[in-house]
Amino acid sequence: MQAFVQPGFWVFVLALAGIYGIFALGLQIQYGVGGIMNFGHVGMMAVSGYSIAVLVIKYQWSFWWAAFFGVVLAAFLGALLGLTTLRLSGDYFAIASIAFAEITRYWILNTDSVTGGTQGTLAIPSPSGFGGYTDQPDKILTWISDLLYPIVGDEASRDMAMIFIVWPFLFLLILISSRLQQTSWARVLRATREDDDVPRSLGKNVFRFRLQTLIIGSVFGGIAGVFWALQFALLAPEDFLRIVTFYGWMILILAGATRVKGLIIASIFFGFLYGSTRFLEFWPLSLLSSPERAYLRVFLIGLVIVLLMVKRPQGLFGKRQEMVLE
Amino acid sequence: MSDLIQYLFNGLVVGSIFAIAAVGISLLYSVLRLVNFAAGDFLTLGAFITYFLSVTLELNFFFSIVVSMLAGMGVSWFLELVLWRNLRRNKAGTLALFLVATGVALMLRPIIQFLFGTETRKFNVDIFKTYDFFGARIAHTQLLVLIFASASILTIALFISKARIGKDMRAYANNPGLASVSGINVDRVVLATWLISGALGSLAGVFQGLVQGQFNNAMGESLLLSFFAAVVLGTIGDAYGALVGGMLLGLFMELSQLSIFFGGVPSNYKPVVAFATLVLVLLFKPEGLFGYRARKV
Repeated sequence: MQAFVQPGFWVFVLALAGIYGIFALGLQIQYGVGGIMNFGHVGMMAVSGYSIAVLVIKYQWSFWWAAFFGVVLAAFLGALLGLTTLRLSGDYFAIASIAFAEITRYWILNTDSVTGGTQGTLAIPSPSGFGGYTDQPDKILTWISDLLYPIVGDEASRDMAMIFIVWPFLFLLILISSRLQQTSWARVLRATREDDDVPRSLGKNVFRFRLQTLIIGSVFGGIAGVFWALQFALLAPEDFLRIVTFYGWMILILAGATRVKGLIIASIFFGFLYGSTRFLEFWPLSLLSSPERAYLRVFLIGLVIVLLMVKRPQGLFGKRQEMVLE
Repeated sequence: MSDLIQYLFNGLVVGSIFAIAAVGISLLYSVLRLVNFAAGDFLTLGAFITYFLSVTLELNFFFSIVVSMLAGMGVSWFLELVLWRNLRRNKAGTLALFLVATGVALMLRPIIQFLFGTETRKFNVDIFKTYDFFGARIAHTQLLVLIFASASILTIALFISKARIGKDMRAYANNPGLASVSGINVDRVVLATWLISGALGSLAGVFQGLVQGQFNNAMGESLLLSFFAAVVLGTIGDAYGALVGGMLLGLFMELSQLSIFFGGVPSNYKPVVAFATLVLVLLFKPEGLFGYRARKV
């Protein structure tokens, strides 16, 4: 239990919460506004994260340009996914989107010469012989952490510096997303969620509106990927399994489909759940070995999703009618 | 030539397993409009229970398979009673069903890991015994799986077309309202569907474990999308279609390795062939091989 009183643990939880908050915000725009059930969101995170690693390590790009390119690529892939499969109805699109993310992961897994394959980004062939890609942003992180040192003393860490970068971004993106939701653009989309024919009869191109939503959500997923890559400084294909998308969905349904404020609390809850299962050492969990407790995390996330959908489908903060619609 | 026979045979074996798993998923969709994301983990569960009984407890292999099928039915029944029935009463939407099925999968996996460990397992059969057939090497286990899987597929097809409950299922899938006013017990149909899909999941899991030789707890999960591809290829909700779709997909995946197709797809890209089939079918023929565009997709 000691771990929970250590500031280092909570700093990690907050850093993680910020990253997954941005990730879930992308899903919130797609589902909450456009009614799109995207189950392959993790693909966008994988694409932008890996773009950075490959461009910086293999092609010696600057981190910033690589990050920008990664997000653009995520947007591009969102457009590609949408143009090809967004005309399908909800459940078909959901399956197609999973397939899209899995194809991305298999490509990463089996293209050793570019992505390092199963060994992760450390194995990307590099002219300098070094598989790290965070040198440039690390300078900024060290600078922030040095600034924090007089205030928090030895608790100043890279994770804490990450919070100061990720959370302002999260708030900025939340602000943008709330503004978006008040526009006439979002009103049309909300109408398409209920019924396609009404907005269509008003001359709105429903498909184009949905495609825009998918792309914007993908950009958010790409930005989350940039921070993910920065936080962990090493990527491997198994970091981008299907389940990661459902981390985002758990945050989303906990928050409610359209509740921007709920998203912050839900993200922190997720970060806590994700980070804490290693440290739960009271009975009966003390019977489990440490790797078994890591599976406990997956179990708990499954349990939260099931309980929420059965008992409170609107989430902790949401409106019921927005979540139960077909 | 021997290559062709080899891949053709492999494809039939893989395809028959896909067919068995896919028919369970397709039946569930036709009756409940539920895409069962937990189907893959039911395969893993079946394989591990059979392993536990036949290898750890040294019981008879066929007896172990039957018990694992019963266990698959039991778990499905339990979930129907505590979960799915309530969701139907609450008129849960597509998203809720999707997420609950995923949640079940996420819970099932750690339970399997906790009960049976994470090590790689293998059944107590000789996986190295092979036969020579026109230059193709055919493993003993593959042959066994092909025979028993074909028998199972015939049984399933007969069951759906001839048995009373099978007919009720098709009637209910076709028109739920009409079926219930004509005296079909809806809860019984739904329960039967779950039991069948649970039993078939376990069976497919054992077959897959046999063919792979060794397996771990990620086995079923990694096959899930291939099953979806088989289901969509054979028209989602069409049980016979799923059988055909499964066979076809298995053949596609194995034959794609033949060198006449762009020099052959490398074997580690086999799952990608399945995913690509899924996406292509969704793009160009979302109603599948046997559907017509009756409903908007």
